[in-house]
Amino acid sequence: MRSERLAPYVLVAPALLIIVVLRLWPLLLGVNFSFTGDGERNGTMVGLDNYLEMFQDATFQSALRNVGLLVLLLPVAVAIPGLLATFIYLRVPGHRVFRSVYFFPAVLSPVIVGAIFNLMLAFDGPLNTVLATVGLGPVDWLGDPGVAMFAVVGVHVWATFGMALVVFLAGFATLDSALLDAARMDGASLPQTIWHVIIPGLTRTIQFVFVTTMIGMLTSMFGLLYVMTSGGPEGSTYLPEYYVWIQQGQMNRPALASAASTVLFLIMLVVGLLQISVLRRAGRED
Amino acid sequence: MLGKRLIRWLVAVPMALLALATIYPLVFTVNVALKTRREYVLDRFALTTSLQWDNIVTAWTSVGMARYFANSLIVVTISVVLLLLFGSMAGFALSQLRFRGSKALFLGCLAALLIPFQVIMVPLARVMADSGLIDTYPGLILAYVAQFLPFTIFLMTSYYKTIPAEIVDAAKIDGNTTYGVYRRIMLPMGTPALLSVGILNTLFCWNDVLIALLMMPSADHRTLMVGVTSLRGQYSANIPTFASGVLIAAVPMLMIYLFLQRQIADGVTAGSTKG
Repeated sequence: MRSERLAPYVLVAPALLIIVVLRLWPLLLGVNFSFTGDGERNGTMVGLDNYLEMFQDATFQSALRNVGLLVLLLPVAVAIPGLLATFIYLRVPGHRVFRSVYFFPAVLSPVIVGAIFNLMLAFDGPLNTVLATVGLGPVDWLGDPGVAMFAVVGVHVWATFGMALVVFLAGFATLDSALLDAARMDGASLPQTIWHVIIPGLTRTIQFVFVTTMIGMLTSMFGLLYVMTSGGPEGSTYLPEYYVWIQQGQMNRPALASAASTVLFLIMLVVGLLQISVLRRAGRED
Repeated sequence: MLGKRLIRWLVAVPMALLALATIYPLVFTVNVALKTRREYVLDRFALTTSLQWDNIVTAWTSVGMARYFANSLIVVTISVVLLLLFGSMAGFALSQLRFRGSKALFLGCLAALLIPFQVIMVPLARVMADSGLIDTYPGLILAYVAQFLPFTIFLMTSYYKTIPAEIVDAAKIDGNTTYGVYRRIMLPMGTPALLSVGILNTLFCWNDVLIALLMMPSADHRTLMVGVTSLRGQYSANIPTFASGVLIAAVPMLMIYLFLQRQIADGVTAGSTKG
């Protein structure tokens, strides 16, 4: 029966090996790497030099500012799918079609979405044409440093709100419909119902969407940035993940890139710990 | 509430406009892909009159999309099969078997879930280069498996937890070894979860560009999404061919959307409801 005793270990062995060698080990390697030099100083310890250089780099500062912008825009990115899910749950005419149509961009790669929106947002493209008919614009969506980041985030929200919508709808399925009926009997208005019934009933779902949306903004906009703006104009659309890529893939500065990775990891760690505490609390409620 | 009819329609109209804004970019791209260059330059909004299927053929053959498509197909298929295999094996062990270290292993898995690729991409590229795996199919496949395995294990473990322990015990009394239980009970019973997780992993791998750029950079090895990014420079003067290439890359995922939407939704929501 020795083979039976070993069975659980055999079953987890491939997963364990892959996760340790290709995920946990590189993390340690990377942190260590960020304290070494690039080029001529390859392999020698340089202390905090990479970090000092990075924080003085205008593009990295732009990347951090943009993280701040994402945090500010986060409530909007959560509220849009939340509100739409509410209307779909309350069976607005056509709710089945809406649910299905809204989800469709979520299956597209950021690269495809970016390529399509390169056409849509071109200076002489469809969006500016539509704006012109109502006497607005034209706006240089991807060429104006003050506008480009908002344009890219807007496209990201367009591409991902369907995912959050589905999560919200799953949350609604657990909501006690008797409460909603009671609110209707009492003649509550829609804003009152949202504020006093729906939001308290969906706390857990809302927290989950907040955290996953933030993670999505920090780690899955690379494709859009790569295709739509390449970090420009004037470095205005840099994010930490894009900075890591440029330093590693274009500038051949792996140690500096590792320092940026480490900073990104710290940001993600805060978000991740938040996620765990949310999951814990959710576990206790069950 | 949405009781009054007027209010219901007042809400429905902007929602319909939003639905239109969701669909229109794709419709626009399809229309452009079927135009001649001349038609596009003269009026990019008018419906195509010539139905230029040639653009699609050009993108498929001479631009190299066929080669990129094959690369993606190979890498994604093998990655997803390995993910489901390793994920269900580990998920079964972590949910149904008692062994020393299982708790620590599950926590390690959760921790790995929190490490985004961008954080480990520099050292991972070095590990791959040192072991001669950079710019090879096995290298990219390993990178995908490593990236999405924690998520796969997490979902498979929580799915297998819903299978009563009595079923495993009964199968063992019938003379099955642990491996037999995995093959004859866990794999068949796990089908719904394997399908959802498999589709999600297919989406993740097929749509990825960052990992592929880093792990398989040479022109011959481009995956479909890396190929699309290179189209932009090559065909900036020939938008219809560019649009055709983009469409070719989008078609497989649009098929999955059309026929397997429910499974995707199940996979996404499983992550939100199972702590």
